[in-house]
Amino acid sequence: MLCDNAFEGRVWGGAVIKIITMFRPTIIVHGGARQFTPDTRDLVQEGVKAAARQGYAELTKGGSAMDAVVAAVSAMEDNTVFNAGHGSRLNLKGQVEADAIVIDGRNLGSGAVCGLQGCSNPVQLARLVMEKTNHCLLTADGAREFMESQGIAAVPSSELVTERARIELEQHVKFSSAVENLVAPRSAPPPSSSCDTVGAVAMDANGNLAAATSTGGITAKLPGRVGDSPIIGSGAYADNTVGAVSTTGCGESIMKVCLARRVGELLEKGKTAQEAAEHALEFMSGRVGGAAGVIVLSQYGNAGACEVGHHFITENMAWAAIDEGQLRWGVDPGQEMNEII
Amino acid sequence: MFEPAIIVHGGFGKFPSESNLKKPLMEGTKAAAREGHAILARGGSAIDAVEAAVTSMEDNPLFNCGYGCTLNLNGNAQMDAIVIDGQTLNSGAVCGALGCPNPVQVARLVMEKTNHCLLSGDGVQQFMRSHGIEVVPDSQLILPERFQEWEQYVKLREEFVNGCGDSQRIASGLPPGCDTVGAVAMDASGNIAAATSTGGRTGKLPGRVGDAPIVGAGSYADSNVGGVSTTGFGESAMKVCLARRIAELLEKGVPAQESAARVLRFMHEKVGGEAGVIVLAKDGNRCHVTRHFISPNMTWAAINDGRITWGIDQGQEESASLE
Repeated sequence: MLCDNAFEGRVWGGAVIKIITMFRPTIIVHGGARQFTPDTRDLVQEGVKAAARQGYAELTKGGSAMDAVVAAVSAMEDNTVFNAGHGSRLNLKGQVEADAIVIDGRNLGSGAVCGLQGCSNPVQLARLVMEKTNHCLLTADGAREFMESQGIAAVPSSELVTERARIELEQHVKFSSAVENLVAPRSAPPPSSSCDTVGAVAMDANGNLAAATSTGGITAKLPGRVGDSPIIGSGAYADNTVGAVSTTGCGESIMKVCLARRVGELLEKGKTAQEAAEHALEFMSGRVGGAAGVIVLSQYGNAGACEVGHHFITENMAWAAIDEGQLRWGVDPGQEMNEII
Repeated sequence: MFEPAIIVHGGFGKFPSESNLKKPLMEGTKAAAREGHAILARGGSAIDAVEAAVTSMEDNPLFNCGYGCTLNLNGNAQMDAIVIDGQTLNSGAVCGALGCPNPVQVARLVMEKTNHCLLSGDGVQQFMRSHGIEVVPDSQLILPERFQEWEQYVKLREEFVNGCGDSQRIASGLPPGCDTVGAVAMDASGNIAAATSTGGRTGKLPGRVGDAPIVGAGSYADSNVGGVSTTGFGESAMKVCLARRIAELLEKGVPAQESAARVLRFMHEKVGGEAGVIVLAKDGNRCHVTRHFISPNMTWAAINDGRITWGIDQGQEESASLE
């Protein structure tokens, strides 16, 4: 499908060439929606920028949107500052249990894992679920069996658990029992508590969309707790005819309202990417409480380009987007920095 | 005051015309509807009603949930279930659960006793034990017929994998009409709830989770709008967020029957696969209940306005006064 994006140029010898570009490759990533502490803020900003660059590099060398989102999310899984893969938050027993998903906007194909232990890159395993099975979601021991059947060795817990995650669990457990001892009503968890899943959505040069989301979940979650991240329509959504979404924040709130699908529904109703993100979050907050952030690509942009939107109702959300040779990023509400790629 | 109503389904599929399973499945589905309705009639909540209806089918070995569910590739009874409270949108669900005779009841406890919506795998067993619920041995959940079907499936699959079988035979080796069950109800306070429960497909990969325990895929409830429970090709339902899409149309004022038909057609065209749904749509202080399925059969039964209606074949609707 050709679009109006075309330009003429002169090459050696004076010949005039006319290049019709296809769709404008675009990626936006998020590294979590929460209140970032001063010690992690800079690291998180640099991390999302690096992840966006990784994903965009896939797009510019002709890779698919799926390649791009998997690369971007893998980069964040490998970066211990993020709550995914290495550096994930710990469940109540001190274990890393991962949830992750990929969705292919071409055919709504999807693969996901949840409650998975011993996996360095859950987003890559999610992709294998999509490509190698007839299923969309594998959990716990079943996911692990599948991982091993694909020749991926489980990694020991010690490799995935960071000191920071361990301390956070300790603090959370201490805080919870202190609150109980005061015979006080259950109050909000301490500000360092996690709601910071990572994710990416992208459009490639063929106009295909993809979404990916990955998380370790919330500190001190019950073993086996699954949040929104690996759920189509909650943690992620992608449909070439509509758009692509990845969410982060209070997983239970997101699940109750099918947040990612709601954003998609608003796009179908004619809202812009930005409007859809804002309205969906407003609805969620009003109906079930909780806070979250979303990144959105809308397929209803001008010829060859998609609209990019992001919104969050948490203190911060780390995000970074690349298109048209520009990298934009931010952490605070309303903040947008940019640099030329 | 609202006029209570309940609709349940006992699974979708294709029965051979002379199948001797149709009658007992139909009776079991009607019995489940009556169990749920009895609670509504004495002023009980929609959540209690759907939990009771689904529990009744979990305890009935004919249905693909709880005792008698289909077995995964390893030969284990592994289950998914959900309850949704349409008033608060709170939900509780379990997936990949082993050793669990009544997963819908455990799902409800997840909703009421934790801050979470979904527990998986071994986490479910840990949760059950912490609430004094016995984790039972697999043998107590496996029906001999299901075991035979599993053995047959494994044999066909091996032949297929070794290049001397065909996928059609594998598909036909699956038990007919034996699929996810569910219920949707509205109580006298106008609250709406949904519940769904399943053992999944025979020979599913261990740990495979389908649409049943997923808010927006296999189930949905919102007291402002209505409720949905689905059965059929789980992966297809997940990909299109089947239950949520039906609710979207209800929110736009599209009648329940048309909503169900449109979304099932959309799903079939977009991603392939077939499904059946039950839908309850709020209408003032009453509601409309309906079912729609694109397969030869789906067992369903509904009770409202003092009547019980039911069916199992396409286009079939029997009705009797409720006494």
